Amino acid sequence: MIMPRGQQLLLPVSPMFMLLTMLLAFLLDMLQSMSWLGNAAWAPDWLALVLVFWAIHQPLKVGVGISFLLGLLTDVHQTSLLGQHALTYTVQGYLATMIHRRILWFDVPSQALQVLPLFMAAQLLELSVRIAAGGLFPGWSFLLPPVLQAFMWPVVTVLLLAPQRRAPDPDKHRPL
Amino acid sequence: MPLGSLDRTPPPFFKQGTSALTKLVLFSSLSCGLMFADLHYNIVQPARWALSLVVYPVQWLALRPQALWDQVDNVFESKQEALNAVEQAKAALLAQSVRASQVEQLTLENNHLRQLLALRERFSTKAMAAEVLYEAADPFVRKMILNKGATHGVQSSSPVMDDQGILGQVTRVHPLVSEITLVTDREHSIPVLNTRTGARGVAFGESGGAPLLELRYMATNADIEEGDVLTTSGVDGVYPPGIPVAKVVKIERRADTVFARILCESLARVQGARHVMVLEPVQFALPGLGDVPHAQQAVTQGAK
Repeated sequence: MIMPRGQQLLLPVSPMFMLLTMLLAFLLDMLQSMSWLGNAAWAPDWLALVLVFWAIHQPLKVGVGISFLLGLLTDVHQTSLLGQHALTYTVQGYLATMIHRRILWFDVPSQALQVLPLFMAAQLLELSVRIAAGGLFPGWSFLLPPVLQAFMWPVVTVLLLAPQRRAPDPDKHRPL
Repeated sequence: MPLGSLDRTPPPFFKQGTSALTKLVLFSSLSCGLMFADLHYNIVQPARWALSLVVYPVQWLALRPQALWDQVDNVFESKQEALNAVEQAKAALLAQSVRASQVEQLTLENNHLRQLLALRERFSTKAMAAEVLYEAADPFVRKMILNKGATHGVQSSSPVMDDQGILGQVTRVHPLVSEITLVTDREHSIPVLNTRTGARGVAFGESGGAPLLELRYMATNADIEEGDVLTTSGVDGVYPPGIPVAKVVKIERRADTVFARILCESLARVQGARHVMVLEPVQFALPGLGDVPHAQQAVTQGAK
């Protein structure tokens, strides 16, 4: 892969780790909806964030298909219309696959700025689906999750790339 | 640098799999089809059943921290709080004992009157205790998930109440859990009776931040006052009659409309209920009335 000058070479990603992070993000979504925040409209969607992250960094492994499946599971959990989150995650996965070649050439804050329209598009799509199916507009705080997700992009980048940034030749002084 | 420290497998040149655009078209049309089917037909229910079984372990896991916290909280609940609770319970018992002593006399009187009128005995509804697992995360709807499902014998369209009044109705039954739509949901409507005047009406959910219902189609000059208590009227064949539903809190009478805008506050704790009762729908208890499994749907479709 052609990479920008000065960027650290990464270790190969572990598929188990990717699966684990997606599961954890799903769990976090559930946790904040069931215990902390209730059905607050501004709660960020961690699963969407992690899915977009992997679709950009590992487009051959995670993409439209997995996004669709996890969207279906989210629909069942949230008791929403079956296919609503599946549709938004699918579109979001497609958009992420489309921009993955370009976006990694920028530094991380600019990347966050570039994924913001992507999250916003997904959120607006969900809103229009809801209103088409006869829902009510839940208030302007509904537009907050994409912004929060974009803000979390640098944090997620550090966390999810950490296993790949370990030393290639661990020894006594550098066990990790 | 040792082998394996870099991803050395070259990206495939020719076998790139299905293109992202194809997948996008395929999966979005699939989800649109699913949504359409879910909205208009009842055919995706099996898929929901299967997926709910997949999601259940994750949900169980996500509920653990809350359960642990509750336990810790219980242990450290102060003695004073417990004593206060006992005091309150005693006061409530005293207040109720007066009415309770009247009940026997009233039941007797009622029996006599019913026999006189040759009416059928009023049936007692079967009930099942359940616990609220969580509120649905969707900000557009007012729904709750109960910890009893089809395997425990929950039936679709069963009324659900807490100790204060009607909470909602079971709208989807999964194998291990079930979904209830609250009375405050916009899609929900419930036939009610004003206990002061005996006037019947239909109350619709408001889906707002506050636990409000709207009593629609009441004329501006109708006899209704703030503070009136609305109970289930029992004409729907789903809810047993006489269970409190809501209290009228605000009446707007405007000259330009025929109907008054009447807002009622739900009596059940729609925002903080933990322990609830799932009642058997009345139509199942009535002998020889035929099977009408989706009375609630007929009611909600009237709302649209």
